[in-house]
Amino acid sequence: MTGHERAGGTRPSGRWPIGQREPGHAHPVSGSAPSWAGRRIGIGAALGRVALALAFAFGSLALGAGYWQVIESDNLSNSGDDAAVIAASRNVLRGEIFDRDGVRLAWNKLDKNDEPYRVYASDALSGVLGYSTRQFGTSGLENAWNAQLSGVVSADPLRELTRKFQADPSDPEALRTTLVLQLQEAAVQALGRTRGAVVMLDPRTGEVLALASTPDYDASAVSNPDTSAKTFDQLRRDNRAPLLPRATQGLYVPGSSFKIVTSMAALGSGAISPATTYADQPRSEKNGWLIDGYRVRDAHHLFTGNTVLDYRQAIEVSCNIYFAQTGVRTGGEALAGYAGRLGFGAALPFDLPTEVSQVTNGGGPLPGGFADRVELANAAYGQAEVLVTPLQMALAAATIANDGTLMRPHLVLEATGKAGTTTIGPSAIGQVVAPGIAHEIAAAMRLAVNGDWGRFFTAGAAVRGLVVAGKSGTAELGSGQPHSWFVGFAPYDNPQVAIAVLVEHSGGGNVKASPIAGQLFRAWRTWTNG
Amino acid sequence: MDAAVIAIWVLRLIFLALLYAFLWMVVRALVRDLRAAAREPTLELGRLVVTASPSGEPAAGVSFALDAITSLGRDVNNSIVLDDDFASAAHAALTYRGRAWYVEDLGSTNGTFVNGSQVDGLSPLAFGDEIQIGQVRLRLERARG
Amino acid sequence: MTAAPVTAGLRAVGREARRLRITPRFRGRELTLLVIVAIALIVGDLSLGATRLLKEAQLAGDQPPPDLAVLAAPAILVIYLIGLFAVHGALVLAGRRTDQILLPTVGLLGGIGLLLMIRLPQDLAGRLGGLAQTQLLWLVIGLTIVVLLAIAVRNDVWLRRYKYTWAAVGVGLLLLTFVFGRDINGARLSLTIGPFSGQPSELLKVILVVFLAGYLSENRPLLQEESTRLGPFRLPPLPYLAPMVAMWAIALGIVIVQRDLGAALLFFAVFLLLLYVSTARFSFVVLGLAAFVVGAGLLYFVFDHVRTRIDIWVDPFADPTGAGFQVVQALHAFARGGLIGTGLGAGLPSIAGRPPIPALHTDFPFAALGEELGLVGILAVLGLYLVLVERGLRIASAAQDEFRAILAAGLSLVIGVQAFIIAAGNLKLIPLTGITLPFVSYGGSSLLANSVIVGMLIALSERTREPLPPPRRPGRIRRLLDRGAA
Repeated sequence: MTGHERAGGTRPSGRWPIGQREPGHAHPVSGSAPSWAGRRIGIGAALGRVALALAFAFGSLALGAGYWQVIESDNLSNSGDDAAVIAASRNVLRGEIFDRDGVRLAWNKLDKNDEPYRVYASDALSGVLGYSTRQFGTSGLENAWNAQLSGVVSADPLRELTRKFQADPSDPEALRTTLVLQLQEAAVQALGRTRGAVVMLDPRTGEVLALASTPDYDASAVSNPDTSAKTFDQLRRDNRAPLLPRATQGLYVPGSSFKIVTSMAALGSGAISPATTYADQPRSEKNGWLIDGYRVRDAHHLFTGNTVLDYRQAIEVSCNIYFAQTGVRTGGEALAGYAGRLGFGAALPFDLPTEVSQVTNGGGPLPGGFADRVELANAAYGQAEVLVTPLQMALAAATIANDGTLMRPHLVLEATGKAGTTTIGPSAIGQVVAPGIAHEIAAAMRLAVNGDWGRFFTAGAAVRGLVVAGKSGTAELGSGQPHSWFVGFAPYDNPQVAIAVLVEHSGGGNVKASPIAGQLFRAWRTWTNG
Repeated sequence: MDAAVIAIWVLRLIFLALLYAFLWMVVRALVRDLRAAAREPTLELGRLVVTASPSGEPAAGVSFALDAITSLGRDVNNSIVLDDDFASAAHAALTYRGRAWYVEDLGSTNGTFVNGSQVDGLSPLAFGDEIQIGQVRLRLERARG
Repeated sequence: MTAAPVTAGLRAVGREARRLRITPRFRGRELTLLVIVAIALIVGDLSLGATRLLKEAQLAGDQPPPDLAVLAAPAILVIYLIGLFAVHGALVLAGRRTDQILLPTVGLLGGIGLLLMIRLPQDLAGRLGGLAQTQLLWLVIGLTIVVLLAIAVRNDVWLRRYKYTWAAVGVGLLLLTFVFGRDINGARLSLTIGPFSGQPSELLKVILVVFLAGYLSENRPLLQEESTRLGPFRLPPLPYLAPMVAMWAIALGIVIVQRDLGAALLFFAVFLLLLYVSTARFSFVVLGLAAFVVGAGLLYFVFDHVRTRIDIWVDPFADPTGAGFQVVQALHAFARGGLIGTGLGAGLPSIAGRPPIPALHTDFPFAALGEELGLVGILAVLGLYLVLVERGLRIASAAQDEFRAILAAGLSLVIGVQAFIIAAGNLKLIPLTGITLPFVSYGGSSLLANSVIVGMLIALSERTREPLPPPRRPGRIRRLLDRGAA
C-alpha cells in the first residue's frame, strides 16, 4: 500500500524507525532504545508489550474457563437450577396412576415441544388426584406422591439409600391406588350440580374406594400447557370453589350425623346404656328441653307421639333432646376424648392433607373446652361449634362398621418402579370403642335406615337386597339452607363399605344426601358383583 | 454403547483435534515469522535527505529510508511524494541493483537532475550525490545503524 | 463536507480497480490452512448431523429416522466454504503479497459461528428463513467486503487526511441512533432504515480507530515529549489530548446514555492501548485507568442499570431467577461442558422448546461453545482470537509508517479486546455487557464491521518486493514500477 509517507518502503524486521522533524539532527533510526536511557521506546516495542499484555489477558480467560468448566463443574451441574436437571425433570415420564382394578387413571401425553404433560381419565378424579403442572405445581395425590411419581425419590427406603450409586437415578414409580373409577364417577354423577363430597372406604382396611368433591374440574386442561394458565385462572375465580377438595378440606356442621360420635362417647364411657331413657323427653318435645336458659327443640313428635325413647329409637328418629341430655350426662371431657380417638382435634393421618375436625372451638371452662352446658348439649347433636370433614365422618362410620377399630385411611396400594413394587398394607390406628358397643350403635343405625320410623328420615338410603345401616343429618346453619348428611355402611352383617355423603345447603333444598348414599351403595354392589 | 454413539464420539474428537491442528500450523508460522524477523538485520539500503524544498512538502531536513525501488513524484501513490509544482506525477525512480544505486527519469516534464546534470535513462548514483526534482533537492546518504 | 472522505475513498478505490491487473501469485500457506478449515468444519457439521440423527431416532422409536441431509444443513456450510475459497482465489489472482493467515483464521471462526447457528433453533432470529441462512448471508456479504478491501485498497489518504471528518461522521451516526433508534432490551442500539436495521456502534468503532490513528500519528512526537506541568507533577500534554478526549467523551457519553456499556468499555480500552502504542508513555495508561475507575464509580452510583450489572457480576447467584439469570445460566452451561463438552447438538437442554440461556445467539455464543465443545474447544477458540490479534499487531509492527501502524494495531485490538470483553463477561470475570463475539455471534452489523477490519488489515499487510537483479532492459523498471505502484 503506498501513500504519503515520511519513510519510504517497508521494513521486514519488527523494528520501527522514527520519522524526524528536527533538520539534520542525528537521531537513531532504530526505535528500540530502552526507556531508561531517557528515550522512548518505539512503536514496534510498544506493540510487543501490548501483544504480551493481550496474551496474558487471554491467559486469564483460559484460567477462568478452566475454573468453571472443571473445578466448579460438578457443583453447578448437580444443582436444582441447572437447565439439564430442570429439563430432565420436565421430560421425565411421570409414573402412571391406576385404580385398584388396573384401570388407568392418569398418564402422560407429549405437547408441541415434546415435553410430557398429564392427562386424566375423568373429571371426577379431580377431587382426589388433583393436577400436575409445571407452572402451578401439583395438588391432591399428584402432590402427595410427587417425589415417587416423578422418580426423584423412591417409595422403597432401601432403594433410597442406594440411590447415589445407581446408574439412572430417575425412577418414576407407577401407583396402584385403592380407588375404583366406576365408584368415583358414580359419586360425582350422583352429586350432580351440587356442591358436595362423597367418601367411600373399606372399613376393614381403611382403603379409600372413592373420594369425590363437586364441583369437579377438568384437570387435564389444567395440566395441558396450552390451556393451563387460562383454565387455572378460571377455576380460581369460580366462586363455587372447584379447586377445594371438599372431602378432605371442607369443614361443615355435621348436624344429626354427629350423633354416632356422641353415641360412642356416651356408651363407651358408660354415661348411658342402650336402655337409657329420659322421662321428660316426650314432654320436652312440645316446648323444647330447657337447659340453662336455652331450649333444645325437636321435630319427630309427629311420629313418636308420647313414646319415651331408648337409645336405639333415639337414633332411629334422630331425637335431639335425647342426645342433648346424653351429651350433658357424658360430659365434655368424654365427648372430646372419644372424638379425639376417632381423629378429631388433629389432621388425619392420610395421603392427602386434611382439615382438623373439632367438637368445639375450645378455650371454655368446662372439661373438653366447652364454654358452658348449653354448648355441650348442642354439640351432642351436632350443632354449636362442631365442625367436621366428610372424611372424618366416613371414618366414624367405618369404625362402627369395623367392630370399633379405626383403620388408617390410605389411597395407595402399591408403588411400582424399576427396582420392584412397594406394597402398603392396612394399619390400625386404635380401638375407639369395644366391639359390643360398636354393634349396639350399628344396630341403631340399621334401624335408622330400615326401621318404620327411620325410613322417613333416611328416605332413599335403603337398598333392596342389601342391608344398609346409617344416620342422616340436617345441619342447621345460621342462615340459608342446611347441609344434608348421610353416614353409614353396608352390608350390615359383614360391612365392606362405609360412606359419608355431604350436600352443601341441601343442593338448594331439594337434593338430599340419603338418596345419593343409596345410589352409591347400589353402585358399589354392582361393582362388587361385576 | 452402540455404533452410532461411538461414531459421534469419534467425530467430536476429530473436530477438536482439527481445531488444534489449525492452531498449531498457524502458531508455527507466526513463530517462524518472528524469528526470521529478529534474525534479519535492519535492511536499510540508503537514505534520501531533503536539502531544499521551497514548497515545504516534504520539509527540508527530513530523511527518507529507501527501499529497493522508490518512486518519486507528485502523485500520492509514490513512495516519496513531492508536492512541488514543477514535479510531474510520476517523476523519477530510485532503484538499488546488486550493490549500486540508480536513478531513472520516468518521462517527466521538467526532467531529473543529478548534481546539476540531467539524467537520461538509467543513471548510476553514488552516496552524497544530489538529485533535483522540480524545485526539490534530495541527497543520497548511506544507511544508518 | 462529510461526503468528502467517502467520495475520495471511493474515487481512490475506483482508480485502483481500473488499474488492477491479474497477476496470479500462489498463496500456499493460505490454501493449506483453508483446506484444514474446510475439513474441520465439515467434520463438525457431520458430528452435529449425527447427534441430531441419534436424538430423533430415540424420540421417533420405530418410525424411519429423518434424512441426515436435512439435519446437518450441509448446503449452508458448502456455500460458506465456496465463498472462502472464492476469496482465496480472488486474492491469488490479485497477486498482492498480503498476509495469508488472517483469512483462514477468520474463516474458521466464522465457520464455527455458522455451525452454531445451524445447531440452534432456527426461529430465534433472522428474516430470511431462519438463523443459519441469515447468518450465511451476512457472512457472504462480509467475505465480499473483505475481498474488495484486500484487493482494491492501496491508498490511505482518504483515511488519513479526513480524520476529523471521519470523527464527525461517527458521532453523527451515533446521535442519529440516539434520536431515531429503536429500543431493544432497554438499550437503544439499532437504527432502522426501511427494511434494514443495524447497530451503528459497530461501524463507529472502526471509524474511531481511523480517527485515532490519524490524530495520534500526526501528533505523536508532541504527545511523546511534551507534558503539562502541574506543580511538581508532569502530566501528559493536556492541550494536545484535548480534542481527542473531547470527541472521546462525547462518544462515551452517548454510548452510556444509550446503555451500551460494552461499546463504551471497548472504545475506552482501545483508546488507551493506542495511546500507549503511539506514545509509549505508561503514565498515560495509569491516568487512563484512574479516569476509568473514577468514571465507573460515578456510573455505579448514578445509573441503576450500571449498578445492576455490577451487582450481578459480584454475585449472580443472589438472584438466580431474576437479574442474574443470564449469567447463572451461562456458568451452568460451562459447567455442563466440562473438559471436552457435550458435543455439537447434544448440549444446551431446551426448556419448553427454548434454549436455556436467553439471547444465546447474540450475547452468549461463547457459553454455548463452552458447553458443546468443552474446555478444550473453548481454549482453541480463544487461541484463534489471540492468533488474529497477534497477526494484526505483527502487521502493525511491519507497517510502512506510523499512521498505518497505529491503524493496524487499532483495528486488531478492536477485535481482540471485543472478544476478550464478551468472553470475560460470559465467564463472570468482568461484568456482562451486550457486545458480540466477532465472527461468531449472530448479527449483520457486527459481521460487516469486523469484515471491514479484516479487509483493511489484509490490505495493510502488503509486503515489500524482493531486491531486483541488475538491469537488463531499461523498460523493465517501468513495468515493475507499474506493478509495484499498483
